[in-house]
Amino acid sequence: YTSSLKYQGESHHSIYNWMDSLVTEYPNLVSKEHIGLTYENHAMYVLKFSTGGSSRPAIWIDAGIHAREWVSSATAVWTANKIATDYGHDSSLTSLLNKMDIYLMIVTNPDGYVYTHTSDRMWRKTRSVNPGSMCRGVDPNRNWDAGFGGPGASSNPCSDSYHGPYAHSEVEVKNVVNFIQSHGQFKSFISIHAYSQLLMYPYGYTCTNVPDQAELDSVGRSAVNALSSLYGTQYKVGNICRIIYQASGGSIDWSYDIGIKYSFAFELRDTGRYGFLLPASQIIPTASETWLALKHIMEHVRDNAY
Amino acid sequence: AHTVLYITGLQFVLKLTPHTPAASPSVPGQEDIQAAMPVEELDPSHYPATRAAKVAEHFINTRYGSPFAWFGSSGVKKAGLEDMGVLGTKYHIEFTLKEMTRNQDMGLCSAEVLFHRADERKPPQVQCTCSGAFQVNTSAEEEDLYQRLRNATSLLSGSDIPNSVGHIDPEMAPFWHLGGVASSFIMLRESNESTLLNMAHIDNFTQMETKDAQLMFQYDILLHDMVSQEILKWKLLLSWSPDGGVKVLEAEWDPKCQAIPTSSILY
Repeated sequence: YTSSLKYQGESHHSIYNWMDSLVTEYPNLVSKEHIGLTYENHAMYVLKFSTGGSSRPAIWIDAGIHAREWVSSATAVWTANKIATDYGHDSSLTSLLNKMDIYLMIVTNPDGYVYTHTSDRMWRKTRSVNPGSMCRGVDPNRNWDAGFGGPGASSNPCSDSYHGPYAHSEVEVKNVVNFIQSHGQFKSFISIHAYSQLLMYPYGYTCTNVPDQAELDSVGRSAVNALSSLYGTQYKVGNICRIIYQASGGSIDWSYDIGIKYSFAFELRDTGRYGFLLPASQIIPTASETWLALKHIMEHVRDNAY
Repeated sequence: AHTVLYITGLQFVLKLTPHTPAASPSVPGQEDIQAAMPVEELDPSHYPATRAAKVAEHFINTRYGSPFAWFGSSGVKKAGLEDMGVLGTKYHIEFTLKEMTRNQDMGLCSAEVLFHRADERKPPQVQCTCSGAFQVNTSAEEEDLYQRLRNATSLLSGSDIPNSVGHIDPEMAPFWHLGGVASSFIMLRESNESTLLNMAHIDNFTQMETKDAQLMFQYDILLHDMVSQEILKWKLLLSWSPDGGVKVLEAEWDPKCQAIPTSSILY
């Protein structure tokens, strides 16, 4: 099924059709849940990988929250297929899915994603209308209720890091917040971005260490060692505030502060040569190496119940 | 370097005369001051070191870049910060360098990046030395490209490089590298401790008529600042020849309908 997808640059319709075909092929493992509508009334879907049970502890992975980061959603498509095909064959993944559920949101900002196809390949934000401004959109990763409105986010609607009028003003963010809160059993929250080759943990809104700093750092470093083992790709590990910049209103700060300890953010390839325009030849290598890191984090979550 | 600035409406035009190498600060007693200031060790994986290395990368491209040589830092090994008081902040960094078109390791470079005080609005000053066989030998390819363009009957142009899915036609690749190198002149001048600039896209480029030995090109490019996340639109007029290297003759920022990023205010 994934051979029918070029992975990158597919329309969101193609991705949604592909998701349906994955569900059809693996009906005992994969289902699709509708978690709400976007500003422009596109459906927001999350793939659920589950072998049964009820209220199992779960892992959340989102991709494509920033529209121009196409490699993020492409990696998520590959990853979804990997999980589906490896279940029952890879003992570690199989034991994980026998205990926990994985939720994977491939296109977290469909409005923005569509806009990168129709109008502006470099669009980042949502497409909500900002009253009184010519400029549309809010940075969905400055809109979470974690140090909202603090340093590292702009109050200018025209800015690519505009935090929005208030926390969770963006329906896309609110839908995820509602879903996570009503589910109540998430133990890990992982957000996938591009570019810079970083694996980060909270906080972004302050440079103060989180209480679980040592453990998150250790898990991160081992995850990156696994990633690098495939092609030698170099990643940096640390908290957002020190590794990249102070940034308020970020999703993994929110998730950590509501008690989801294993909160991580990836910035995938590369380090600026292609930037947001990563070539097709690098998609599968990127997804393959990232999978090793994701797997390591998920195994740690599986083995360290709380 | 001598710069002349015209401000008309919302457009800022920066005219650059031929590039002169960055000189060491020549303040009397500077040597004494440098010897006295302690260098605070920095974590090489944290952003202050990363940003300083990016500036050094831009500096190297302005000196040694060409359509066949485009350099990138591949990791900071050591970093230190020296508070220069009224002069600003100086970063001492050691980083590995790569020639990106061939994915060739160029060894270790050692640089000093001085960011002036913000109110001075001066571009950073860079000194850099690299070990190993630093100069890449691209003279044959450069001469070949140069002669092909000189002898061509029509002027060359291109657009959308790389395209949406990162594809570049092989014939366009040297002009991608050339755009990247030329962008480094602008990115070097625009850099401060709160920026991390990369060239994001070449919207289009057009070869211009010239009467002298230099080839001339007009480029419309997009830069990306990782820190503000803004996309910055620039128009560049640049010249290139194997002997003359890459020079940016004119550069103009097109703000359009976007926020004015604090990192990119021209004077």
